[in-house]
Amino acid sequence: MSDITLKNKELVGWRIASYIFMAIFTLLTVGPLFWLTYSSFKPHADIMQQTFAFPRAFFFGNYTRAWEIGKLGGLILNSIFYSFFGTIITVYLALGAGYGFAKFGYRVSNWFYAFFIMGLLITAHSVLVPLFVMETRLNIDDTRLGVLIPYVGFGLPFMIYLATSYIKGIPSSLEEAALIDGAGYLQIFWRIIRPVCQPVTATMLIFAFLSNWNEFVFVFVLTSRQEIRSLPVGVNAFVGGLSRDFGLLFAALVIATIPMILFYIFFRDQLMKGFAAGSLKE
Amino acid sequence: MTTLGNKRASYALLTLPSVFIYALVIVFPVVFSFVLGFTEWSGFGAPVFTGLSNYRKMLTDLVFLHGLRNNMLIVAVSVFGQIPFGFVLAYIIYRGLVKWGDFFQTMIFLPITVSAIVVAKLWNQFFSPAGMVTAIARILQDDPRFVFAIFEDRALAIVPVLVVILWYYTGIYMVIFLANMQKISPAVIEAAIVDGAKERQILFRVVMPQMTNILFTTAVFAIAGSLKSFDLIFAMTGGGPANYTTVIAIYMYLNTFKYYNYGFGSAVSIMIVILSLGLITLIQSVYRYFEAKYE
Repeated sequence: MSDITLKNKELVGWRIASYIFMAIFTLLTVGPLFWLTYSSFKPHADIMQQTFAFPRAFFFGNYTRAWEIGKLGGLILNSIFYSFFGTIITVYLALGAGYGFAKFGYRVSNWFYAFFIMGLLITAHSVLVPLFVMETRLNIDDTRLGVLIPYVGFGLPFMIYLATSYIKGIPSSLEEAALIDGAGYLQIFWRIIRPVCQPVTATMLIFAFLSNWNEFVFVFVLTSRQEIRSLPVGVNAFVGGLSRDFGLLFAALVIATIPMILFYIFFRDQLMKGFAAGSLKE
Repeated sequence: MTTLGNKRASYALLTLPSVFIYALVIVFPVVFSFVLGFTEWSGFGAPVFTGLSNYRKMLTDLVFLHGLRNNMLIVAVSVFGQIPFGFVLAYIIYRGLVKWGDFFQTMIFLPITVSAIVVAKLWNQFFSPAGMVTAIARILQDDPRFVFAIFEDRALAIVPVLVVILWYYTGIYMVIFLANMQKISPAVIEAAIVDGAKERQILFRVVMPQMTNILFTTAVFAIAGSLKSFDLIFAMTGGGPANYTTVIAIYMYLNTFKYYNYGFGSAVSIMIVILSLGLITLIQSVYRYFEAKYE
């Protein structure tokens, strides 16, 4: 009897400490974002004078002005374009390569695969200079294509890692049966491997979409025309060029954040899986 | 024979597009960077071979060394801040020590979805002389004229950046640890509880030993990620004032695209790769050492 109460006492201590730790951590994490959101409905003067106060009345002026001055509509469309095509191309290329590397049994696959894995260590900055020079020579600098190609190239290593390790786990019997029935390899890829890969494909799509949406440096360095820049780059330029009006700035930041918050609400679990996937041993 | 040809053609069709794009965007540029690193080149005319002089210049440049120091501080915050915090958060949720673990998890992971640019601009307001920290300090110190000016101190200017990095990325580590803890067989924990194990013992004797390799894996992630850090700091301070908050990636960016020293910039970017490979090798040998010692 006394043993059990002792144990409960110990556990109560753990629980109290845990609640305090969690509550503080969560408050510090969400607090700044919450403050940003409600402050964006206050005019600049109010943000400066009553830093913490809730808006007295919801002031939408920041939003309409930020939307117009920053041309945020166009930036959002560009971001959607880059993220959508960058993601689709990367994921399907990676699934194809993953099938090749995992199931064909060619020795060259090991080389290719090791090459791609090494790419995980390469930062975008290590290739900016040559990439910039190459794109200038090929006349694709400052074009949408010139942005999309590096997006795909840098997305591939991790996506190929995810695809290959998943496809390795698919039993070969499925494939062999189809081969005996006379199906070609490409048919097998499309009719068998692709559907079986649906769970990992979902994780890949969502993870790649988030990375592409938040990508900054390629668009920043490889483009100069406002019409083809993405949301993060546009917001960065917009904020830099503006007189310090925190109201406008906050409205622009909230607009830039909303799409991904919605995305997070719908795809939370897949997104977390993507982040954890690199560390899980199958 | 036709099936064999078919197999090869299919293989090529499936893998070569990826290999080609990857070679074009990563492999070739890295080799190009490596070569350019031994030259002086402003983008026009032919590069002039200068041997190791770029590396010598870099290693004697006080700005580079300050950037390296800042990078190492970021590595330290990642390894000794994000990883332990992430671990504790994950453990609390995994063991169900709080109710609504799912809610807490969702909230703490939230910043990851926000773009680094947005995070940078938001926290800039906090740390600016007219920002949130000044406002809080004025209330706490009861001094309406106090101004928070940490950026004027060469040694401390990086601190706000470190705070933001801790705030921004800890959620990733929480999610990684949680996913790996959930792979521990529940029977092991139950057996420990039946045997009368205390929470402390479950943590240190049951869960922790199963997490050692993940701790090292995350350390590798943290190092690789820390040396890459650019977007956040670039949008927050641009490395300023007076290079106080610079990191190697920003140093490389400024030298290349502001001063047009393409050769020198390439040498710096190769240095980033060398440093991350070096640190990761170090971590791995430490891991092997411990593994050999305890098994």
